[in-house]
Parts: sequence; C-alpha cells; structure tokens
Amino acid sequence: MKRNFTIFLLFAKNAFRTTSQGRIGVFLFLIGKIVRFVFMFYLIFFIFQRTRFLKGYSFEQAALFYLVFNLIDTISQILFREVYRFRYLVTSGALDMVLLKPHHPFLRVLVGGVDILDLFLVIPYGVLAIIAASHVVTTPLQIGLFILLFINALWITTSFHIIVLALGILTTEVDHTIMIYRDIVGLGRFPIEIYKEPIRGIFTFIIPVAVMMSFPVQALVGKLGGTLIGFSFVISSCIFVGSLFLWNIALEKYQSWGG
Amino acid sequence: MISAKHLKKIYRTHIRQNNILKDVFNRHYKEHIAVDDVSFEIDENELIGFIGPNGAGKTTTLKMCAGILHPTSGKLEVLNTNPFEKKHSFLKQIAFVMGQRNQLIWDLPATDSFILQKTIYEIGDREYKKTVSHLIDILKCKDLVEKPIKTLSLGERMKMELIAGLLHTPKLVFFDEPTIGLDIFSQEAIRKFIREYQYVYHATVILTSHYLEDVKRLAKRLIIINKGKILYDDSLSKIIEQYSQEKQIKITLSKPVSDKIVYDIKKPTHFAFPQIVFTVKPSEIPEIIKKISALLPFSDLTVEDESIETIIKTFFEKN
Repeated sequence: MKRNFTIFLLFAKNAFRTTSQGRIGVFLFLIGKIVRFVFMFYLIFFIFQRTRFLKGYSFEQAALFYLVFNLIDTISQILFREVYRFRYLVTSGALDMVLLKPHHPFLRVLVGGVDILDLFLVIPYGVLAIIAASHVVTTPLQIGLFILLFINALWITTSFHIIVLALGILTTEVDHTIMIYRDIVGLGRFPIEIYKEPIRGIFTFIIPVAVMMSFPVQALVGKLGGTLIGFSFVISSCIFVGSLFLWNIALEKYQSWGG
Repeated sequence: MISAKHLKKIYRTHIRQNNILKDVFNRHYKEHIAVDDVSFEIDENELIGFIGPNGAGKTTTLKMCAGILHPTSGKLEVLNTNPFEKKHSFLKQIAFVMGQRNQLIWDLPATDSFILQKTIYEIGDREYKKTVSHLIDILKCKDLVEKPIKTLSLGERMKMELIAGLLHTPKLVFFDEPTIGLDIFSQEAIRKFIREYQYVYHATVILTSHYLEDVKRLAKRLIIINKGKILYDDSLSKIIEQYSQEKQIKITLSKPVSDKIVYDIKKPTHFAFPQIVFTVKPSEIPEIIKKISALLPFSDLTVEDESIETIIKTFFEKN
C-alpha cells in the first residue's frame, strides 16, 4: 500500500512538472474553468430572483447541489485526468510498457496523471459548499450519510472511468465515451426532481447520475429514504464489480496495436 | 526458463464492406493466425536471435512470453509461471525493450524516469546508484541523463531507454528491434551494450531485429519464424554452414592493375581500386587464390562467408 502510494505521488509530481511547463495553457485553463463556474452560479442566482423555491429547495439548498456536483466532478477530474489521454497509449502501443510494470496498471492509466490545476478549484468549491451547508438545517446523522454518499459517488465515478478504459482497449475509442459520460453526469448539476419521469427513473436506476450527484445533498437535507440509501451502495458495488470484469475481458482481448 | 508448447495467437479484425449500415449492424470479421502451433524451450543465460519477415509473428510470440498478450491456445511457462497472470514477482524479473516504444517522460530529464523505475521496482539506493553508474559507463552517456528527453536524438533516447528498462537488472530481457532507425555508430554501441549486459548480469536475452548484423554479432542460437510457424531453431553457425553456398574473396590491391588481368581470373562482383571482390563456390577457392597470388599485387586477402542477409534469403527461398 505504502509503495503504491509512493508510486502514485511520483506520477502526480511528474504530471505536475509536465503540465507546469506550458504557463499560458495553465492560465487559460484556469480562467476557462472559473468563467464556466461563475456563469452557472449566476444562472442559479437568476432563477431564484424569480422564484423562492426550485422543486421545494431553497436557494442555499440548490446552490449546495451545484457545489457538491462541482466537487465530485472536479475531484474525479483531478484523479482520473490520465483517462483522457488513454487513447494514445492504446493506439501507439505504449500500453505494453504499462502492462509490463510490477504495479497495478490503474496506478498509471487511471490515476497516473493527477491534474493539480483542478486542485486549485476544489478549495473555493469546498469553502462555498461549507457556507451553503451552514444555512441548511441538518443533523449529525444526515452529515454522516452525506459523507458516505459523497464517497460512494466518487466510487461510482471510479467505476465509470474503469469502464471507459476497458472500452478504450476494446474499441480504441475513448474521447467520445468520456464526453458522453461527462454530458450525462452534467445533468446532475441540479436536483434530480427537476426532471420528469421516466428520465428521473433512468437517471436513478439505470445511469445512476442521481445516486452520484443528488443523493448526497438529499441525504444532508433529510429528503432521502433508507431504501434509496441502501440502493446507492448496492448499485455502486454492482457497477464496480462490472467495471473490473470488463477491464479483465479487455486485457484478454488486448491486441497491442502499433507493433 | 521459457517453455512454449503449441502456442497459438489469433487476431480478429473487422472487414470493411464499403457500406456504413452493414459495417455497423452486420459486421464481418476475419481471423488472422499470427502465431501457429509454436513450441520452443529457452534455457538460462542464452542469447537468442528471433528473426523473420514483417508480420511473421516474432513480436507477438515475445509479447505472449512477457504476458502482454493472452495466447489463444497452447501452454506457456516463463520463469515457472504463467506470464499472463502478471505476478509482480515475475514482472520484476523481466524487461521488454522496444525500439519503437517509449517509456520515458518526454518533457523531463531521464533521471526522473530512472527514479520512477527505482520506486516501481523497489531498488535500494546503493544498488540503484551502482547499476545506473555501470549502465551509463557501458553506454558512455553521462552527459545525457540530465537533459529533457525531448531534446535528445533517437540514438541518445534509445540509450536512456536501455538504462530505464534494465535498471532492475532483469534475468530475462526481450529486445524488440533495439537498433531500428539508428545510425551505424549507435547500432554498434547498442550491440556492445547488449553483449556486455548479458555477460555481466548472466541474463537470458531474446533479440528480434531486421538488422541481421545484430543477430550475427550477438546470438549463438537462431529461431526463424515465418507466417506464424517456426522454420528453424538451431545454432547460427549451422545455418551459415548449411545455406552459405558461396564465399567472398576480398582483395586489397597494392598497385593498380588492368581490367583484363582481373577478368582473366574470374568476373569480379565488385572492382574499384584498391578493392576487388570475387564470389566463388567453396570448391573453387584454392584455384582462385592460386591465380590471385600469381597475377595480382595485393596487400590484403580475406575469405568471408556470404552476408547473413544473403544466407537468410537463401533459407527463405528454400523453405
């Protein structure tokens, strides 16, 4: 475990040193992210200038949904940035060199390119989320459930990224898969209640966007029942097992392109 | 060390039908047998040349031995384990150095990649310093390790690849086209390195190369593969003896001579003062040398086998 963590830190350090070489790129990247965040936040603010509640949620609660979404999304981008570069590894055959190393390949292909730039954005998101949460009436149990469901959401994003990697090996297609994933997950910016059935059901039970993005805040404000909390952990476990199964199949089918 | 029995690898590729609907909804696939019922044994401390034309199945066989590819069928045991299980204890004992693959961090100096390998392979500080310094000495590249990889030439980068790949002093090394694209000086440096590495670390080395000179200079045993099947598995000297039908007599003249005198001996395959080359059958050698001694003023005379390329070409024509 300690060795894996040391390798992870070395990969992260090297990724940061590589990224920081293009200073203009770093500047534009951060500006783009901040502008997008501010615009979306303004949209929520604009909506609440015209109404006091959004599907029964106050401004602070709706803002909390948006901020928790940003936290989960940004943490997954910090950790799994390397997935976005996976296609090159497969098509160039450089994945061979990864598979030959005496560590789990996920250390390199899943979390081997930690994006430090996004780390700078997590801090303001976190501070704003704490401020929004301080305006919400909650209990220690609800806070505990929020933390568990937040970790559960990160577990589901991990599984989704493993599925993207497996599909990358099987089809050499990564870019579109990851974009589809991001577009679908992006629908979780707002409380799941704003969508009508059957969309809401699909985003809860088939593509668990709601489990990832809405359930933690719903638990925090006391609007999530025990059955759905239990369901969250069952579905995340199923997706995780399924993603590992698909990864192992992909390794068996791997053809080592470009040799 | 390696035991391969009836090894087979089939690749499945999609056939395009020039019809987008059929390509999406009714795909047709073609099976390509890359390795077909291959069996061989490799012992410790051997240096083996693995050769064959493009697409013969060399790299696929090696990649199965290293655990990168999963064999379609057959039994494979490398270092007493199934390589595809990718046990860390197994991976720590092998290395795969590919001339066409890069494992170094492009934007950073090679030392950063070396430190990463040190951590991955759990190499102690003292052992790391000793091995790096030894490998740098053999390759004479001390001034390169602190330069960003992207600023190095292909040959220089290959030297850094070799150090990064062999830092953990593996028992079994696969070299896949290690000299591809390199100039003759770099090729020679890499060959020298492979020879010395095998000698010092008692490693088993399997080498594939399109430059047959690499194989001739390094390997004692030769495995020739074509269309996925092993056609030859024996000593290099035996194939030279068996398939070298002609010898080359190379002469360095000490004075210019007329064309007529040279052509009276035998039509040369190359004649440009001071060099003359006659290609002869082994039985003709005594007679030709007698004539040369009588008619030509020369400062040097050597009798050589045909080039390894010609021998292998003859082998393929006859098989």
